[in-house]
Amino acid sequence: MADGTAIRPWSTTPPTEWVVKVINPDRDDAALVAESVAGNREAFDVIVERHRRAVYQVCYRFAGNHEDASDLAQEAFVRAWRGLKNFKGQSALSTWLYRIAVNACLSRVGAKAPITEPIETGDTFEDTRIEDARATLLRAERAVAVRKAIAGLPKKQRATLILRTYHDLSHQQIADILGSSVGAVKANFFHALGNLKKILGSEP
Amino acid sequence: MNHLTPDELIDAVEGTLDPARREHLASCELCAREVASLASVLSEARQVEMPEPSPLFWNHLSARVRTAVRAESQPGGGWERWLRWPVLLPIGALALIVFALMTALPRQGMPVEGSIAGSTSEDVALTDDGWMLVADLVGEIDWETAGAAGVVVRPGTADQAALELNAQEQKELSRLIKAELERVKS
Repeated sequence: MADGTAIRPWSTTPPTEWVVKVINPDRDDAALVAESVAGNREAFDVIVERHRRAVYQVCYRFAGNHEDASDLAQEAFVRAWRGLKNFKGQSALSTWLYRIAVNACLSRVGAKAPITEPIETGDTFEDTRIEDARATLLRAERAVAVRKAIAGLPKKQRATLILRTYHDLSHQQIADILGSSVGAVKANFFHALGNLKKILGSEP
Repeated sequence: MNHLTPDELIDAVEGTLDPARREHLASCELCAREVASLASVLSEARQVEMPEPSPLFWNHLSARVRTAVRAESQPGGGWERWLRWPVLLPIGALALIVFALMTALPRQGMPVEGSIAGSTSEDVALTDDGWMLVADLVGEIDWETAGAAGVVVRPGTADQAALELNAQEQKELSRLIKAELERVKS
């Protein structure tokens, strides 16, 4: 063009504004956090993508149903975005996100046992052999009973059981998340298993 | 020897029990039974898998989070966080009520001719019933009669503004005050 401004000549170096937006998904969490704090929401998108499954799973284990779990997971990430400046990297980002998710769950999920989803029978009748179908159904029923029993545990016991059993976090990590000691975590885990045994023992 | 504590029972279930205590466990039927029972219920809990959401769900969740985050300000928050309707509406309503109260009530230290001798606004601690009375008065007062009786308010004050309200505006003000008082009471 005559004024030389309308068309940018081809260059191997992308314009500056593009560089800001392109996020390498392989970047480590610390770099992504730094970029997010600097206001780069695309960097936070990558954090969400990387940790959404774990956060959702914690929420699901707490809430017992998909809808509440989705809401809680969203709330956890929004809280994380708001609090990102306070994340100093003393723990892994995943541990910090677990803590936020657990706190969101503890504040939202009431003492009343949440509504757990019914047995999914979709796979049950694919097998035409009656005995197998019956066994599958019994397993599904038992799984619902266990989920319901977990949902009925006191909050700290529930959190400890979920983080230890399904997310394989160490006692120390759980203590950091719940703001308690390793001893308290072990005691909570012990009582959670004991209560679970009692509840399931009384199931028909 | 003492039986295993809850901590030690958990260690035993997880296979991290101190060797010295393992000897007790090996010889104590009660502790062994307790460990087996805990291990059994833990095993049952572990087998409960979480239903996998639809593959489309993960992108949907990301999109929901992205939308919510875009509606937020910078991480850590700033004053922009307050510029949202869910925050602004209640604050605006509260400000309106406060303004209505300010314009309806006599200001401290501003004597009103015709008031009871020796009484000032400081002497009057208004209870909710008192506020109700004010609300009724604002709605029912005949300002022409009040003027003829010598009730004078300095021009330019908020009180003047209240006096200048027409009958409908006074009625609305009265309604607002009553509604607020009812809300506080409830």
